[in-house]
Amino acid sequence: MAPPRPRRRSGTGPGSWTGFLLALPLLLFLAALVLWPVSRLVAAAAHGPDAFRVVLAAGRYRTALVNSLLLSAAAAGAAVLLSLVPAWVLARERFAGRRLLRATMALPLSFSGVLVGFLMVVMLGRIGAIPELVRWLTGRELLAGVAYTPAGLFIAYLYFEVPRAVLTLEAAFRRFPPELDAVARTLGASARERLLRVRLPLLAPALRASLALTFAASMGSFGVALILSRRFTVAPVEIYTELTGFSNDAVAGALCLLLALATLAADRLLVEGGERWRRAGSGGGLRQAAASRARP
Amino acid sequence: MRLPTHSPRLARRLGIAWTALVAAMLAAPIAVAIAGAFSRSEWYGLRSEGAPVQGTAALFVYVLGLWGHNLLRSAQIVAVVTPLALLLGAPAAYAFRRLPFPGCRWLEAAAVAPLAVPGIVLAVALIEAAGGAPRFALLAAGHLVYTVPLVVRTVGNALQGHDPQLEDAARTLGAGRLAIVRRLVVPLLAPALVVSALLVLAVSWGEFNVSFLLATPRVQTFPAALYLTYTTNSFPVAAAATLIFLLPVIPVVAAIQALGGEELQRGAQP
Repeated sequence: MAPPRPRRRSGTGPGSWTGFLLALPLLLFLAALVLWPVSRLVAAAAHGPDAFRVVLAAGRYRTALVNSLLLSAAAAGAAVLLSLVPAWVLARERFAGRRLLRATMALPLSFSGVLVGFLMVVMLGRIGAIPELVRWLTGRELLAGVAYTPAGLFIAYLYFEVPRAVLTLEAAFRRFPPELDAVARTLGASARERLLRVRLPLLAPALRASLALTFAASMGSFGVALILSRRFTVAPVEIYTELTGFSNDAVAGALCLLLALATLAADRLLVEGGERWRRAGSGGGLRQAAASRARP
Repeated sequence: MRLPTHSPRLARRLGIAWTALVAAMLAAPIAVAIAGAFSRSEWYGLRSEGAPVQGTAALFVYVLGLWGHNLLRSAQIVAVVTPLALLLGAPAAYAFRRLPFPGCRWLEAAAVAPLAVPGIVLAVALIEAAGGAPRFALLAAGHLVYTVPLVVRTVGNALQGHDPQLEDAARTLGAGRLAIVRRLVVPLLAPALVVSALLVLAVSWGEFNVSFLLATPRVQTFPAALYLTYTTNSFPVAAAATLIFLLPVIPVVAAIQALGGEELQRGAQP
């Protein structure tokens, strides 16, 4: 790395050096525990005979990758849709019990995947709470064992994505300037017009960001599928099986890299692609003003 | 003039009801699982554990006997990872905001990048790079990779909320660099530092990907043990283990809430 030279904020040469020294442990840490391992991962994937071709050829690995992609995308979309209203309510309304609701939403954030998998088995397993309840109420066998199907995996993904989506959206909604909406209303805009022409354009970046976040969370989710997936397989489980079961480092490495690339690509596409699309469109004065107002 | 900035009453009520419903659906499985730890355990105990576990107290004693060393291991990891994550992340976050140097934006982006990468990928990468290293060190490293970004982001966001002129003022009043840090920066950042520590604690306590991939029979964290208990033990044992796992999480999450943790995480958009 080039020796640091002062740039912004006056000619504080010593300050710049101090800053560099303060960040130096972090730099070394990242180099040793992120960059170097990732380079080893790339090397492992490149070492095997055509690991990428093996992974991308039709078969178990590709199915797992596609399953991961589709399931994560579906769960991210559904989670963000489910979270819109709760995030708005938590951000903008004041009512008794608000803090409790918010704390409940935040609780699953630190649950590991296996715990979520167990909760799914408890609720929707072969003798889960919901099937038992249904049987007690109606006397019919319904929903037993759903936890082990792709639908069960989807619900489990929702379980840990909804809290993530609610909390990121809430932060964005709190910065949304309510006056704009009110002004639109006084100018005679209908509820639908306000939603489509004021709220959605302003909140689009937050929506895309929360989509990217929830998508990344479920792409890497490993514990849930480990507990729940039976015939249906997702990429992290295949990585684990290849690594520990068959010591097939090349295939595991290739799967890891493809998983990471897909996640990062989705992130860039959603966050930056959307940004570019927005700028290319007719950035109205109101929207510009609102955007600058929304970011103090 | 008052602008109509509030939602109509009916929409407000429906919104709150929907929020409560979503929260209830998130809470229900936890409640059922916890109730399971207090269900009649004799039957399960005799039938599937091979150990005559009688009553709730005996169930918890049995579970602690099974997984006590994993609990201890997790506590050790958390105790090592939390201060290290703060020491690595907080000074760097301060440098990024107050003492910028060439390339610091790039470094900051790299520091929070692990949050956008699927958890299992960096775990596998660590194994590829240092599979032979001592397991405890490797585990701690894996937890650090995912917790340092949280510190960098939380402290960075907190610093953005404070006026840098305070430090300039202190300097013009003759305070030395150390005095400024000790008497101005650290007190101002105290809530953010506490929130960071709690976040690190919660994440490290619940971390599974790295823990499970690196687990050996002797060095195994509690979440990795949870997997074993879910796949091998009876329901009350699994439920009791879950409750033991949750016990530290609930106060930590409540404390993060009370200290305004979400507000500090507002840069969460990757």
